Amino acid sequence: MAELILPDSRRCHYFFLYDGSKVRGEDDPTRKGICYFYPEETPLDKQDLLCSQLAGVGRCVSELSSSQVSTLRLRRCKFAIRMKDDFFWALGCSVDTPTVSVCELLHQLINLFCFYNGPVRMSYELNSRETLATGWTCFLSHLLSAQSPLHYIFSCLRTMDLTNVDPLLLLKAALILQACQRCPLVLAGCIIFKGRVVSTQLSPELTMKVMVHEREMFNKAQRTNGTSAPGSFGCAVSSTGVFLSPPELQNLRSPPVNKDSSSHSSIQKDAMPRRSRLSRTLSDTPSSEPEPSDPTSPHSSQMLSVHPHWSELDNSVFSPAPTQSAAGSTTCSPQAQRPSSSQRRNSHKAEEETLHKSYYQSFHDSTRGVRQIEGEESSTCEGNLHLNGGDGACETEFDFSGPTANVKTVSGDNEASCRSIKDHMTEVKHLTLPHPQTLESNEQNSLIAMTLYVHRVNSLVLALLVEPHFLNDTTSIEEVYHSSLASLNGLEAHLHTISPAAPEPAGQYLFAHYDCIQNTLTTNVSGRAVGAPEHPFVRATSLLHSHFCSTETLQEAIIRSAGTAVYGTRNVAQETFFQQLGGPPRNSGIPNHQDSAFSLPSKARHRLLKHGVNLL
Amino acid sequence: MKCLLIASESAEILFHWTDQEFQQNVQEKYSSSQEEGEGLPAFEDIISTLFAPIIISCGTMVYRQGDSYTSFTTENNHIYALCQFDECLYIAVNGDGEEKEDDLRRKLYVLRKITEVMFGMVTLSGSLLRKELRPQDTEQRVRLWKHLQSLVETYNYLRESDQSFLVEAVERLIHPTLCEQCIEFLERRLVQQINSSSLVERAGEEVLHTFILVHTKLLAFYSSRTASTLNTSDLLTLIIMAQNMYPSNVELDEPSPEVQPPISYSKIIYNYLESTSGSGPESFYTPEPSPSSRDSSSSEDSLHTLDIGPPDPSTPRRVFLELKDGQLPMVPHSMYCLPLWPGITLVLLTKVPNIQITRSVYSFLEDFTKLEKCLNEGQAGSGAARGQLNMHNTRSKLDKFIRDLGPSELQVTLFRAHKTNFYISFEIILCLFFYYSLIPLCKSMKTRLCSLYRQRFLTDTGSSDGPRCLSPALQERAQTMVQEKLMDWKDFLLVKSKRNITMVSYPLQKEEFPGLVHFIWVDRSSGQIIAPSLNITERTTSELGKGPVARYIKSKVWGLVRTTRQYLRKGYSTVTLRDGDFYFCYFLWFENENGYKLEAGDIPILPDDSPPIGMLGYDYYRKLLRYYGKNHQGEAVKCYELLTVHLGVIPTEIILQHCRQLASKLWEPSRNPLL
Repeated sequence: MAELILPDSRRCHYFFLYDGSKVRGEDDPTRKGICYFYPEETPLDKQDLLCSQLAGVGRCVSELSSSQVSTLRLRRCKFAIRMKDDFFWALGCSVDTPTVSVCELLHQLINLFCFYNGPVRMSYELNSRETLATGWTCFLSHLLSAQSPLHYIFSCLRTMDLTNVDPLLLLKAALILQACQRCPLVLAGCIIFKGRVVSTQLSPELTMKVMVHEREMFNKAQRTNGTSAPGSFGCAVSSTGVFLSPPELQNLRSPPVNKDSSSHSSIQKDAMPRRSRLSRTLSDTPSSEPEPSDPTSPHSSQMLSVHPHWSELDNSVFSPAPTQSAAGSTTCSPQAQRPSSSQRRNSHKAEEETLHKSYYQSFHDSTRGVRQIEGEESSTCEGNLHLNGGDGACETEFDFSGPTANVKTVSGDNEASCRSIKDHMTEVKHLTLPHPQTLESNEQNSLIAMTLYVHRVNSLVLALLVEPHFLNDTTSIEEVYHSSLASLNGLEAHLHTISPAAPEPAGQYLFAHYDCIQNTLTTNVSGRAVGAPEHPFVRATSLLHSHFCSTETLQEAIIRSAGTAVYGTRNVAQETFFQQLGGPPRNSGIPNHQDSAFSLPSKARHRLLKHGVNLL
Repeated sequence: MKCLLIASESAEILFHWTDQEFQQNVQEKYSSSQEEGEGLPAFEDIISTLFAPIIISCGTMVYRQGDSYTSFTTENNHIYALCQFDECLYIAVNGDGEEKEDDLRRKLYVLRKITEVMFGMVTLSGSLLRKELRPQDTEQRVRLWKHLQSLVETYNYLRESDQSFLVEAVERLIHPTLCEQCIEFLERRLVQQINSSSLVERAGEEVLHTFILVHTKLLAFYSSRTASTLNTSDLLTLIIMAQNMYPSNVELDEPSPEVQPPISYSKIIYNYLESTSGSGPESFYTPEPSPSSRDSSSSEDSLHTLDIGPPDPSTPRRVFLELKDGQLPMVPHSMYCLPLWPGITLVLLTKVPNIQITRSVYSFLEDFTKLEKCLNEGQAGSGAARGQLNMHNTRSKLDKFIRDLGPSELQVTLFRAHKTNFYISFEIILCLFFYYSLIPLCKSMKTRLCSLYRQRFLTDTGSSDGPRCLSPALQERAQTMVQEKLMDWKDFLLVKSKRNITMVSYPLQKEEFPGLVHFIWVDRSSGQIIAPSLNITERTTSELGKGPVARYIKSKVWGLVRTTRQYLRKGYSTVTLRDGDFYFCYFLWFENENGYKLEAGDIPILPDDSPPIGMLGYDYYRKLLRYYGKNHQGEAVKCYELLTVHLGVIPTEIILQHCRQLASKLWEPSRNPLL
């Protein structure tokens, strides 16, 4: 069962999206540009004030510095800012929150929105603000309902307590996912139990995005009390359209085995080295050997900036087709297929709206809908697919065979992106993709529509990212469903028997272990009660985390105040924080090697071994 | 890419300083948006246009949201820091990555401190300060801005190059015998002679403090018995001002390291220098370039190109300093900076007549501020407020004050009329219980007081009976006396100031501290720093090597100080860091007067935009000592800091032992009778 924690009002003070293009003239009221404002009960004139002042100052500073504003601080509130194409996002948190975390939250929030709704401009052209507002509210509450204040600081995934789970079960989960991948239309997926990741083949960002849908669905199902129309597979299967950026898709389409060999070349070029895809249950943990620290390499310069992968994603989300697909886009120019009539737009819009409404519909309903559309233009679809050799290409990619595979993917880059656009075009014609016209006419779009397939077995959820035409292919659907059903049931039954981890005997020590690659956190700091004894640890951890983020060369640190001493250490893949509880001995703050603070490193090494954290 | 500006609430630029890069950048930006053929407007106007939206938005946010901007950052790592001081908004910008937000905020506080030292209580009235910072007369404005700009540049230079300005504490030359001799000389000979000269010759002034600076380091400091202590913040500001007047050029007077302490060796040294420098003594004594040419960034702006002659050296600077540990701020003094030789300066601080007015003005200002606060809080608190304020008492004091001022001056007449109006209104309004309209009257009363103060202490230097200051002859005599005294020592002093403490000298035998790269020890109670010299000029080799290595270590030390301040701000008084090949330690602790280590107490946790941690722009440590001292009543509490840089290969236990030994060793020299 997904945890339902109401967003802590102290964590986020404000969030708004302001569309500057709506407020051009002198007479245009500010509120015309306010697309979304959280908290929604904020008085309108206050909304006006914040939107107009922050957006105005943001623009002014951007002009002065020839660069977008990224943070904006007031005495009582700290805003992460994003500005793009007249849109202005601001996420305001309390000033204690590390700046890195606020920026990361805003980044995740926007990406979530784009994942489910497509490019922002397009969404707002085609949907009412009210419709999209529910989306923002949902994503925001998801991001703010972190398990503990630490999860919020690291903005990491919720995972099962792996020390408590039989490794065989994890292996089983990984095998289920791999089995699903036998169907060429399935890209990758993850398995979630009670709102926590059991196994994932997706990057941490994608996993996080997928989990939001799972949670929402679950909540909805709870609300409607399972009354949605059962299909032949039961009410357990559903699907929804999602949007991926070209690099994300490229990562998914390249065979997983090949990934390691190419990680040092292509991934680094993509400037997304830290968040690579890993099947975490297969214990292919990242090599902990330090990466080359040549300060001139693009990699480390990226690391220096607060958001290594930010700019890259920015491009993919907002800007015209990325450079690597340039060749592809010239050959299969989207403009060529731009539909002529504006009526069609309207009809599509209507369809799209209904599709959106049936967010959580039974699987069969959606396929039927798809088939209906397909029927109209099926001939073009088939032609396109065959022309591009869509399926075939997909198969070859999965068919990893020796050293040639590497070459294949490299040369396949153009092909893949070309195909993605082709696919995309066919989807536009007759699949679930909602807004064909704007997709083409609007230059900023380069997101590629995909489908998220979700199969729920009680508390266990199998979520798969599939090619959009997977929904057309009854054989594939049935194959995936039947091949996984039994194993899922078995896994669910096993996971159910695991008793929740016994609460740590309090009073010993506190620790947090953050895996930057998999974006996961292991900690014994509970989320429920932000008790006084834990607060100093959280505060120190957030400070040290910021420091680790800003200083690449920093390896370990001990900081002590009169009452608390916290030890932090990190390597390329992990950050670990440790505090010994139970009143520090009297100290005078003078340099003294017998001071207990300096024995923290050895204590941490010793104590954390049983949590699977190796600091040696 | 650096910029610093002060703006009024109405977005008027009251002062700006930019480096050349920023100026070019801004001009390009502006010209691209302009139509062809139009000439560029004055730089000041461009700046004003570009920053106006930010300044106005700041005002709006304060007014409507009760909150104000403190910083912006952009994706290309430009940083903007904003501070509101009374009615003025201070903004600092950095776009070259050399400074962090904390540095910018520090710069703003230092600029604020400089204006306080220059204008005293006038800074308490927004409208008067505006007039003071932005004189109507263009030429006057150019002169003032240029002076302030060069002070800002001097500060920037010192903060980037001098450890004592990095940690904001004063460094003394460690040479107990010489220091003692000098102090005695200053006391028995110099101060006594000046203060006992005729009243006319010294224009009623009296020397309170005097000190000798070798570059930025203090050789000797003497305060007369009647004077109250000069605090570190003021002393550091005075050093900036002295350095600005007579900048020391590090490259030029970098003598060879072999120079020994002279007994009567000055001749030898002289010859030595002559033979090694190759350019003879003349070049050694070449007058220093003006500060603006050190950083030849000063703009081509029409405002800047006006040539302003050097100030008459015999004209003192009016400075406003704190007395009695902050209880009486901004008391006027005159500062005489007498150059002895390049790099060595004698500074005299004199008490000017009639400073009791300051005391009265300040106490009235406080009363009116209190009254204003009570009025703002509304009627609810008024009963208590009235009892506490005792306006009748204030009134009779004010009456007496005005009587004492004498009848002659126009300002006083105006003030008197104003006061009468105020009291008439005060009484009527008090009866009507209509407090709010009293607030503006209160404000204008304060402005009047500041204006009276301004007229007394800022504008009367050139009155009919000639400049009121120590006569030039007296100044010259003082200069010659000290020159004669230090003649044999001057070359030694110049060398010593560069190698005050070295890592190989006492108290630091290398054998005793293997792996120790650098350390900084600060006594925060007296504001003194002890640290090995960090010379990174190309011409000299320090123990850290020269060129890149030394520069690298220097940048690490500068970064470490910045980092530890961040932790201190959040209440952490001990920090150890393993960073690359180094291991850094930082400790802050308290002791009583006998050197007994006191229990560590909780240190206040401050927000990110709180005043910078230091002693120059804002005396954080004085506040910290007061806070800590609350639990140690009747005991003089001392506060110390130690930073060390070790090689990372040294085992942590050894490093910590070093720190302990250092802390106890360095405790001793501070006991030296350097005063």
